[in-house]
Amino acid sequence: MTHTGDGPGEWVLLSYRLPREPSTPRIAVWRKLKRLGAAQISDGLVALPAGARTREQLEWVAEEVTDAGGTAAIWLARPATRAQQDQLAQAMAAARAAEYQALIAAADAAAAAAADPARASAVRRLRNEFRRIQRRDYFPPAEHDLAQAALQALATREEAGAQPVPRTGQPASRARKRAHRAQQETA
Amino acid sequence: MRWATRAGIHIDRAACAWLIRRHIDEQAEFIFVADPADIPPGATAFDIPGAELSHHAGECSFETILRRYDLTDPVLWRIAAIVHEADLDDERYDAPEAPGLDVTLRGLSMIRDDEEILRLTGPVFDGIYEYFRRAMLLGREPA
Repeated sequence: MTHTGDGPGEWVLLSYRLPREPSTPRIAVWRKLKRLGAAQISDGLVALPAGARTREQLEWVAEEVTDAGGTAAIWLARPATRAQQDQLAQAMAAARAAEYQALIAAADAAAAAAADPARASAVRRLRNEFRRIQRRDYFPPAEHDLAQAALQALATREEAGAQPVPRTGQPASRARKRAHRAQQETA
Repeated sequence: MRWATRAGIHIDRAACAWLIRRHIDEQAEFIFVADPADIPPGATAFDIPGAELSHHAGECSFETILRRYDLTDPVLWRIAAIVHEADLDDERYDAPEAPGLDVTLRGLSMIRDDEEILRLTGPVFDGIYEYFRRAMLLGREPA
């Protein structure tokens, strides 16, 4: 999707209906849509910014729905107004922001913990989690940079071994300031 | 034989085409279509929603083709794990090679057409195959 143009960009929509029972395919589809970061427009209608990859991903979900005895269709559409698009984008950004926040909390907790082998595995686990969130982050909120900085701080701490490294003056504080500015601009 | 898949290929379709040419049909001819309705009669479709050789039960098309053609080579199944993770990223397998290969294919799709990507990725998959073949024989990382 293009953010630079004047009008709203193109979105790929999946409309679907699944039988209420059995619940297993319903849950599988719901999980998949959640993992893709799709925006829920209404019951049985989800959206992602259109692109080769997002379209393909929703096409596979559609296939899964029909395999499970439901009905599904893929649409390419444009919100009629920019406000409508902004609403979608903001909802998606807010959902990702919450996920980044949880990651930051986990990274800070791991950094504060006494040095132990668990910290190395925390770095790996949280980096993977960051990558997962990033893949479904189509409108990066300020928390994206904060989470990256928190992860970097944790990794630095891990490399430094048992020696505590002060968090101030790290890239984290710069990113926080930047995020604060961004929030003020959008407010 | 003629094989048809969606245009704008990525990791799963590139890997499937390599698999088909190396292990199923040496003379394979590939056709890339924008719409499933454009698949010519007589061509075997793969990695297209609705096709038999496609995603099934949470598996990618590469895995489906391995099953459908009874290809049990463990090296191919190791590659299947990488393709699966690069394509679906659902952490079913531990395949740390997947993100790198995904980026490689995504980048290639920005600068080359489908025919050219098949030509370029053929030796890449040959190399990956050889690497894991040796790794399995040695029981450790080769070279």
